[in-house]
Amino acid sequence: MAGILYLMAFVLQKESQKADEYLREIKEQSLLSEAVRQCVEAAGHEHEPETQKTLLRRHFTYRRNDNTHWFTPSLSQLLSLNFPPEQFVSMCRDLRVLNAVRDYTVGIPLTHTQFKQMTVQVLIDRLVYRKLYPLAIEVCRYLKTPEYQGVSRVLKHWACYKVQQKEESDEVIAKAVSVKLADAAGISYSEIATKAYESGRTELAIKLLEFEPRSGEQVPLLLKMKKSPLALSKAIESGDTDLVYTVVMYLKNELNRGDFFMMLRNQPVALSLYKQFCKHQEQDTLKDLFNQDDDHEELGNFYVKASYKDQRLEARVALLQSAVDEYYKAKNDFSAKTTEDEMRLLRFQRKLEEEKGEQLVGFSLHDTMTTLLSVGLHKHAEQLYKDFRVPDKRFWWLKLKALAEKEDWEELEKFGKTKKSPIGYLPFVEVCIKHHNKYEAKKYVSKVTPEQKVKAHLAVGDMEGAAEAAIERRNESEISTVLSRCSATTDHLLMERLNRAKATAVKK
Amino acid sequence: MAHTEWKDAPGLPDFSLLKRLARDQLIFLLEQLPGKKDLFIDADLMSPLDRIANVTILKQHEVDKLYKVELKPIFVLMFTDLVNADKVAGRFRRYKIIFTPQKFYACETVLEEQGVYGDVTTDEWNFYILPLDDDILSLELPEFFRDNFLEGDQRWVTTAGSALRLLQSVYGSFSKVYGIGRCAKMVYESWRELMEDGEQRTRQPEFAKVFLVDRDVDFVTPLCSQVVYEGLVDDLFRIKCGSVEFGPDVTSSDKSIKVMLNSQDKVFSEIRNEHFSNVFGFLSQKAKNLQTAYDKRRGMDIQQMKAFVADELKGLKQEHRLLSLHIGASESMMKKKTKQDFQELLKTEHSLLEGFEIRECITYIEEHINRQVSMIDSLRLLCLLSITENGLLSKDYRSLKAQYLQSYGIEHLLTFANLRQLGLLEEQQAGETLTVMESKVGKLVNDKTVGKLTDAFSSLAKKSNFRALSKRLALVPKSGEEYDLRVPRDMAYVFSGAYIPLSCKLIEQVLERDGWTGMEEVTRMLNGQEFAVTEARSKTDAQRIVLVMFLGGCTFSEISALRFLGKERGCRFIVVTTAITNSSRLLEALLDNSA
Repeated sequence: MAGILYLMAFVLQKESQKADEYLREIKEQSLLSEAVRQCVEAAGHEHEPETQKTLLRRHFTYRRNDNTHWFTPSLSQLLSLNFPPEQFVSMCRDLRVLNAVRDYTVGIPLTHTQFKQMTVQVLIDRLVYRKLYPLAIEVCRYLKTPEYQGVSRVLKHWACYKVQQKEESDEVIAKAVSVKLADAAGISYSEIATKAYESGRTELAIKLLEFEPRSGEQVPLLLKMKKSPLALSKAIESGDTDLVYTVVMYLKNELNRGDFFMMLRNQPVALSLYKQFCKHQEQDTLKDLFNQDDDHEELGNFYVKASYKDQRLEARVALLQSAVDEYYKAKNDFSAKTTEDEMRLLRFQRKLEEEKGEQLVGFSLHDTMTTLLSVGLHKHAEQLYKDFRVPDKRFWWLKLKALAEKEDWEELEKFGKTKKSPIGYLPFVEVCIKHHNKYEAKKYVSKVTPEQKVKAHLAVGDMEGAAEAAIERRNESEISTVLSRCSATTDHLLMERLNRAKATAVKK
Repeated sequence: MAHTEWKDAPGLPDFSLLKRLARDQLIFLLEQLPGKKDLFIDADLMSPLDRIANVTILKQHEVDKLYKVELKPIFVLMFTDLVNADKVAGRFRRYKIIFTPQKFYACETVLEEQGVYGDVTTDEWNFYILPLDDDILSLELPEFFRDNFLEGDQRWVTTAGSALRLLQSVYGSFSKVYGIGRCAKMVYESWRELMEDGEQRTRQPEFAKVFLVDRDVDFVTPLCSQVVYEGLVDDLFRIKCGSVEFGPDVTSSDKSIKVMLNSQDKVFSEIRNEHFSNVFGFLSQKAKNLQTAYDKRRGMDIQQMKAFVADELKGLKQEHRLLSLHIGASESMMKKKTKQDFQELLKTEHSLLEGFEIRECITYIEEHINRQVSMIDSLRLLCLLSITENGLLSKDYRSLKAQYLQSYGIEHLLTFANLRQLGLLEEQQAGETLTVMESKVGKLVNDKTVGKLTDAFSSLAKKSNFRALSKRLALVPKSGEEYDLRVPRDMAYVFSGAYIPLSCKLIEQVLERDGWTGMEEVTRMLNGQEFAVTEARSKTDAQRIVLVMFLGGCTFSEISALRFLGKERGCRFIVVTTAITNSSRLLEALLDNSA
């Protein structure tokens, strides 16, 4: 049928009436649309552009006829129903591309079937292999291939090829590449740089990497090129800790220890990350790091920490001694002295443990004294108190609590009389009350300073005493406190007195 | 007492979406290993996981047994043992490690070193944000604070950036970003970078302003005792992942009860932001109302009774249960907190904030240490003293430290080293040399230059400058004025009217000025690093929803203060935090006896 239509076309071109005849013949077999389709397809298989044109023109032929109602209505209806223009349009496009590559300067004699089979992607690849970059780009643009798969890909290949051209200088190539690729989307400069590196142009590779906007992408290649310092700073620049880790770990295996540490030293971010890693995985490396930096303060801290991990006393003391040395080097007298004290304390605890069988090692000074007092080793506690220059207040609090805990009231009373209490006597009252011993508590009420009298009286539940004290001191808030503690059972006279005193106190 | 709902406050976005996203991803990961499987879970992840997908859901996806794994660094090692044991026993299983919120290269290195890298597959569960409440989103990264501010490990910066991107992709983009602090700046940059990589979505934003703030900008606030109900519950009972366990002394029975604390709890939502002194009165009023509601039953006919049982009774019962719990809780608080020592503690804190009677405060702290009252509280007071006073005098510094070590052991030498590094507890030395320098320089040049030099020096010394900041921003209200805690005047009510949280005050000022202009002096005292960026213009209701991100944790008191501020200004705040913190958590993170 297509044959007939083809023939008809010739006739039509010559404005002959014969066309009608041919058409009718096709119409009789109701196959016009099929014929048109075949025509378009045939064009695809034709290699000669002129013949292609003729075949394609058939398409228009029928359309024009359709528009002018040249045929009987039934036929035109049939025609208008069936033939969508897309096929025609895409065929035109394909043919144009095919004709371009069939050109003798290119020389890829593809049939349309072959072209459909191998897809546009492959065609572009072939063009790229033949280094026909401009044509490839034109094809991509013409076929509207998405930029990422099309133009950008070709440009990348071009750039990869370009960087292998030995005769041109690094600057020229880098500039040419950057100018060409400037506004192409989705270009990976790191890939191009990799190519440059592979063909032995490290300097060029580094220049190209500068164009890579994502610093993360630059790092793997830089490592490969053994540009580790640059890789490290790029990784840090990217702000991606993970990447920094990658580089640090790589460097750790690649460099000797000294160089590795030196490099970290110049990169605080990487250093602190590595320190974190060492804290969990390699304690000894951490020590080496501090050593290199002459960071005696941190070394001291390191030894102190280590001493708490060791169970054996000898080892602990030895570690603490190292800490002391480091602290002195760091001119941190305070820490050094404290650590020395701790060593003394440990030895003391050990001795007592052996002698008395009390579990003491590892306790703080305060806890050691508490334990000693609670088992009645007052002498030893006193010794600690003197040896370690424990503040009086602390010792008094401590002993007070320990004795009350033991309910050793006799000893407590003796203790209270040894000298004037540096913490006052209110704590004595309170501690007794806490252990539900009102009788003992009352013994100390009289010793309490005037300011605390009211509190002391209230603590032992002596309302009258409290009232007396408060009225005597003419202190409004204290009187109110006492009043608030009064209940229905309290003496009315007392309450009246309090109220009166309050009134005068307020007036004042 | 209950505040009237503000009239034109914008509604909050629906954050349950975030939960659903996380759940779907987890299920997807589980389904990738078909068949029965055992699940080992990091103990820290238990509670957050429970909020996303409970055991029933896990079982539905063929999780056979659940194991809880304590001790983090050991996790991978334990895993190695497991794999090797199976190998010896000739058992064949498949292994998969799911890292959350993201996988670190270091993890792979460890697996490789242990020689099991080939035996496992790894995956990421990008579970960035857990919505704790309508207006609280948490990254559940308590380690953020120590890692970032003490160890200088910035790995979590990207996580925070990813969280922001997640919010942006789900709820629309922001029009304005403010921030202060080094970490804030880095998070912002990381977030920007992520946005450039990903696809852009243009949709109507649900919130428009973001404020990023580093925890180390304001250490004073989290170091203060909390006195707002929710904060107090957190201080005393430790709220974990939005739920709290009330012990027998609260429930007045012999077992503990776990309670979710959020806006779903009608009783709690009314008292959470209240100053503690008001709570009891409110609860008793509530109890009376409840009784009246119950009393309605009397004199009802059958039909009414039926309706009552069907509609109201269940609600009342529920309310009754909650009410009795909160009454129990506040009773137990009363017992602990109205005691003399707590009052004195508060008084000391307030004096420190005001810079008043410092000698007395030091004596108090000394006694506190000597009596071994509480390890953390003593440390907290020491830090508060140091920050508010710009460091301790050399003499005090040594003596207080020595006494502390005597009480709690020498290992706290390391704690002190950490505190000094963060500027939480320091010795005053630069100060003296500074004045000497100043007077010397002062003879040579005019006053203005001296001022500049002083600023330069003080920023070098990394001073906290709290006193000056407090004056400039009026953080401490004039003493002597009565402060009615039932009718809060300003944000200071969250600290009994003694102090406006610095962090919240900064947010208020910046939002008011729409930037940092006019606050140059303040930012200089905070060591700068402030920024304000306009991303896009938008003129919707969203303008009045402000996202505040705390890097390094925020306290319930700050959240309460922001809620109050929102009410005053007719806007609403959504708090995104790396974790909920308080003084104990903050300081415990800096102890050095465990790691």
